[in-house]
Amino acid sequence: MQAAPTSSPPESRARELLADAFAGTPGRMRLLGALAVAACVAFGGLAFLLGTNLDRALGASRAHAAQLVRIQTIRTSLVKADANATNAFLVGGLEPTDVRTGYADGIQTAAATLADASSADANDAHALQAVNEALASYAGMVEAARANNRQGFPIGAAYLRAASRLIQSDALPPLEQLVNEERSRVDSSSNAATDAQRELVALLVLVVASLVVTQVWLFAKTRRVLNPPLVAATAMVVVAGLAGLGVVAWSRGKASDARRGPYTETVALATARIDGFDAKSAESLTLIAHGSGQAYEDRFKSVSLGATRALTPAGVGQFGKPEADAREALAVYVNAHTRVRAADDRGDYDGAVRSATGTGEANRAFGGFETTSRQALALRSAQASDDLAHARSPLLAISWLMLVIGLVAAFAARRGVAQRLREYR
Amino acid sequence: MFTVLIAAATALSACDSGSSFKPKAAAPVTSTTTPAATRAPNCGDPVASFAPSGPRPAPGPMPPGSFMETIRKRGRLIAGVSADTLLFGFRNPVSGNLEGFDIDMVREVARAIFNDPDKVEYRVLTYAQRIPALRSGAVDIVADVMTINCARWAQISFSSQYFDAGQKVLVRTDSRARGIADLNGKRMCAAKGSTNIDNLKNYPKVITVGVDDISDCMVLFQQGAVDSVTGDDTVLAGFVAQDPYAKVVGPPITSEPYGLGIAKTHPEFVQFVNSVLEDVRANGTWRQWYVKWLKPTVPAPEPPPAKYGRAL
Repeated sequence: MQAAPTSSPPESRARELLADAFAGTPGRMRLLGALAVAACVAFGGLAFLLGTNLDRALGASRAHAAQLVRIQTIRTSLVKADANATNAFLVGGLEPTDVRTGYADGIQTAAATLADASSADANDAHALQAVNEALASYAGMVEAARANNRQGFPIGAAYLRAASRLIQSDALPPLEQLVNEERSRVDSSSNAATDAQRELVALLVLVVASLVVTQVWLFAKTRRVLNPPLVAATAMVVVAGLAGLGVVAWSRGKASDARRGPYTETVALATARIDGFDAKSAESLTLIAHGSGQAYEDRFKSVSLGATRALTPAGVGQFGKPEADAREALAVYVNAHTRVRAADDRGDYDGAVRSATGTGEANRAFGGFETTSRQALALRSAQASDDLAHARSPLLAISWLMLVIGLVAAFAARRGVAQRLREYR
Repeated sequence: MFTVLIAAATALSACDSGSSFKPKAAAPVTSTTTPAATRAPNCGDPVASFAPSGPRPAPGPMPPGSFMETIRKRGRLIAGVSADTLLFGFRNPVSGNLEGFDIDMVREVARAIFNDPDKVEYRVLTYAQRIPALRSGAVDIVADVMTINCARWAQISFSSQYFDAGQKVLVRTDSRARGIADLNGKRMCAAKGSTNIDNLKNYPKVITVGVDDISDCMVLFQQGAVDSVTGDDTVLAGFVAQDPYAKVVGPPITSEPYGLGIAKTHPEFVQFVNSVLEDVRANGTWRQWYVKWLKPTVPAPEPPPAKYGRAL
């Protein structure tokens, strides 16, 4: 840049020198040259920032989606543990090994995932701490229920009810709150792609316009048609800018596909599984309540409907086969549950309990839903994670490329203006 | 065949009641009906029920139009019971079956109708659900440590008394309290919808904690969330059997006569059940149940005598 002398004579003197430097045609040429160079540097720098910011935002989006899956895993594990604990009581006597394993597995997964989720996002740590405390009390109450149960004391059933209430009142609400927060975080970081695209277009238009204005002015003053270095600078900026735009648009498309596709399906499957386990708990509690379980049956109806709705695509989107399979398995279970209720309502309590436990029809149907939905969820959450990673994959490279090209273009622009200045003298 | 027992002492036996409620007039069994409204709040002697009339029909077809016939046609008796009152009505965690003194009582009624004690569908009720369940027809009979009193007679009918319990209080074994009066300022748990919680109104300095099921009280007690639990000595005896660090103290603050609850619309069923209870008292079955369920923990060597005289 043809900077004015900036040594330390009195202020007025400096202003005079500065005015001289930009006075007359060569001065204006210098000023315009400085603008062109600045425009190229700004392009490189700002495009780099835009690209890397978008990369970070998509990274955050993926991290929040992963955190969302973790929190849903905690919720699922808790309702799974509770479904197993209540079912064990329904069986009576010593609980079957697989039911005990299901309970222990739920508690262990919940505890481990709580630790993961707390370290993954410090914002969630406080709420997760409360869940952790509820989990500890819950496990204590279930153990008290078992200890009483093993001695043949019916007070065990009271401990079990209290434990189940604790999960519903202290553990699930903060997790539900976190899920909502993570979902809006995923959405807001995904909007970053739209913003980045718009900003890059604006930047490109401004930079190219200032380069063109420079050249038009030079043309008017010097009657030279083309200044090769300036033309080259403009061309480089245009090409790099368009390439950058293309990549950002592609990333945005991929991210939005991932969000509409596997991510939405992940959320749907996780919701369906949570509601599904909750329904299974409600079924057991209805039978444990032995004829006065209307409140639990109402809960069954509302959560099983929630699960079905979650697996039914809303609006134009269509879910894939894994979701359709899960929905079908859920329908089979809900039908079997209807027969459990019918048996209980006509006085065949033992038949109803048989169906809802062990190898009974309703219990097997629920097992089918559990397996199908678990596999579908694993598939979709891996897809969502891969797709979001894929969407951001070229962003860092193109950001650096735009930075380098911006700097090279700035150098070329400076040379072009210097050339004209020399000719003018 | 069952022998029909018509108590000779029927009509006027209410006079020797120890209850605070004295009969206004012991109406003869044959008198015409009295409007329901005149029985509340003063219902005469609360433990006086409808006397059995005539020979009880043998198991099998019941008199046409009677509620017993409705039950027989349905194929099962629907009984409201407790699932967590050890000794009276509880779900045996080992077998998964409902057992206890009250359950045996219900099975005996089923036997009298079907000649098969297993033809019972149980509905587990909280205390507060008992009267609504009878009034809505959701259950035919309630056998759930239910105290007979006038306020309840205004809403449902009762069989003759089958057990005489009293409200006491359960505390930690290291407590120095000798009764409810020593527990002012302490938290005391009772079941909502029970006479126990109503009686606590006479002890305004005790901090009352109400829960749906009295066994929830025991959870709170074992976790230190309440200092004591109040309930009938029968129910508390069941809790002490489940917790070696709990004891029952104090003289009973009330008398809680238990009866089987039946909807007001079926007096013939009350008479039928009373006739079954006559047999249970007379043929040693009551004594057998007492030994089986209650003997070591609850003192009540003899069944309370039946009292009749309530007008149909």
